Amino acid sequence: MYGWHLRILRVNLTTHKVTTEDVDPKIARDYLGGRGWAIHYLYKEMDPMTDPLSPENKLIFATGPLTATPAPTGNRYMVVTKSPLTGALAHSNSGGEFPTWMKRTGFDMFIFEGKSPEPVYLFVNEDQVEVRSAAHVWGKDVHETTDILKAETSADARVACIGPAGENLALMAAIMNDKHRAAARSGVGAVMGSKNLKAVVAMGNKNPPLHDPEGMRALSVDTSKNVGADVKKGSNMRIYGTSYVPQVTNTLGILPTRNFLQGTFEHVNNIDGDALKNQYLIRHTPCYRCPLSCGRLTEVPDGKYKGKGEGPEYETISSLGTGCGVSDLAALLKANYLCNEYGMDTITTGMTIAAAMEMYEKGYIPESVIGQPLKFGDHDAMIEMIKLMAYMEGFGKDLAMGSYRLAEKYGHPEIAVTTRKQEFPGYDPRGSQGMGLLYATSNKGASHMEGDVAYEEVFGVPVKENPLTTEGKPELVKHFEDSFALMDSSGLCVFVAIRYAFNKDRMILPERLAEMMNLSTGAGYTPEEALKAAERVYNLERMFLLKAGSTEDTLPHRMLHEPLPDGPAKGKVVELDKMLPEFYKVRGWDEKGWPTKEKLMELGLPM
Amino acid sequence: MMIRVKLIANYREALPPEAKHGVVELDVPDGTTVYEAISRFDIPLNDESVIVLNGLTVDMNTPLVEGDMVTAFSAIAGG
Ligand code: SF4
Repeated sequence: MYGWHLRILRVNLTTHKVTTEDVDPKIARDYLGGRGWAIHYLYKEMDPMTDPLSPENKLIFATGPLTATPAPTGNRYMVVTKSPLTGALAHSNSGGEFPTWMKRTGFDMFIFEGKSPEPVYLFVNEDQVEVRSAAHVWGKDVHETTDILKAETSADARVACIGPAGENLALMAAIMNDKHRAAARSGVGAVMGSKNLKAVVAMGNKNPPLHDPEGMRALSVDTSKNVGADVKKGSNMRIYGTSYVPQVTNTLGILPTRNFLQGTFEHVNNIDGDALKNQYLIRHTPCYRCPLSCGRLTEVPDGKYKGKGEGPEYETISSLGTGCGVSDLAALLKANYLCNEYGMDTITTGMTIAAAMEMYEKGYIPESVIGQPLKFGDHDAMIEMIKLMAYMEGFGKDLAMGSYRLAEKYGHPEIAVTTRKQEFPGYDPRGSQGMGLLYATSNKGASHMEGDVAYEEVFGVPVKENPLTTEGKPELVKHFEDSFALMDSSGLCVFVAIRYAFNKDRMILPERLAEMMNLSTGAGYTPEEALKAAERVYNLERMFLLKAGSTEDTLPHRMLHEPLPDGPAKGKVVELDKMLPEFYKVRGWDEKGWPTKEKLMELGLPM
Repeated sequence: MMIRVKLIANYREALPPEAKHGVVELDVPDGTTVYEAISRFDIPLNDESVIVLNGLTVDMNTPLVEGDMVTAFSAIAGG
């Protein structure tokens, strides 16, 4: 077969033994690649009840059949493991260059097992695979580590690594690649840290052979042209990246503000895309082979927030910015840079500090415990908290466990805005009901990347849905979840893949995406088969989740019982009970949310 | 009556220079609809745009009342 190498590298970190194995072509086809392959192996090989920070947990890096092909944005990989933050499944996506370089080693997937007795990094140059000491980079931040490891291996290599947060097992630790890109969510960096694995350095020239290189080139050129036409018209994603979104969500009243106490932020003009573009933008920075180029290099040239890096993305603005009531853009950029250097998910970091701010203001956590005042809007205190979290110092030890455990420890679980203990991203579901259903049922806890129905409810893509209604949302959520499982498994970035996955009739058939997969692999998927395979992946993840004991699909107190006090969605809570039973039916699950025998059989999944 | 129109991100280029943070005040005749107010600006009025009234999804023929805010932005996947 083509597109996939059908080869896996397995690294036992306890013994430093490295083995390679072939992938059964039927498994390859049935589970698509990337996220799909990873859950197949994880479910087959690991007890879902495994302690996430124990050597028994497995950490999987998985590329898809379109990674390292000419397909525009075929630059992604997924990090899949059991999450120490949620106790459920983690699958975090990242782009940049590392994933392409990883696939060019000639392996589609790396599986890490066990725990190294001392800090190590993995170097892979095609069939030269070495587990090397990382003693000299342990304790160093992401930028330093990346520079040192490139210098001692090759300028042609690319690096994925953890920073101090991952080493110290902070539950919001990310795995950073190419310095600025993050497989951010669910504490995947802490799993890497628990294995004493500091970094993975990859290089090689083994592009996957393609089934139909000519056809692929033509479709790629066509897609790039399509994106290019949008860019010419003045695409917001090119001009602003995702930083234009705060104005959109503020307009709809769903911009998380002060730990979701409000849905609009009075200082939004200080921290929106225009403010960023006019003050700190240097240039656009694309991931590998991306015609859209939504990344942005920014710099605060002087003063106490001096720094340089990529971002912030919308999700960072809505967590470290509005979530914490912070309106100082330079300070927000500094916080973003620090999270990247320490290797931290900005969403969980920001929303955990936001929860702490609310608890401080309500007198639930005394100043003596925190060591200083911690009011909403105090950006210097926020920056201090980030440092304490990364290094697990003082109150940082409490913060590094995430907002759920923090709120519980101080006796006020109702403050935490999480599902499956993971913090919400930047769409308040009280004003975006479909997102509420998504957060409640997502296989990885609250996440927009699990099936971002905000595309319809907020952005009108491919069609505009009323965000305040519940009708039709169960079908919509299922369709988006399956479509995202397909995109995540393919190796494409959703920002561009969505253009071929969806059509105006609610995209029943992801024709172009299936076509792209076929040109790469020769697997001959019909669009229905590709979507069915994605549903298979989603249901297998669900089984993992349920068997890990994470069986309750619900939302936090604030979303179900505290109506939004402001904005267009004022007075609304999430009407989850109107959507959940219908969602289970649409999914073919029983009334408790377990996939039925019939559904498992239909998908060819183990009972 | 006075209403406001807010255009977000790239659509701001369609606003007159007196607009502040993407918002412009307009004096329009009674009975002006959402559609009529937004058609004064050079932005796509098909499914390439999302247009809301006071942040809510409404029929484009809804008549405006004093103080209303019509907001438009380009329909594009982001966030
Ligand atoms: S759209 Fe943005 S995130 Fe996606 S591949 Fe391009 S630059 Fe990377």
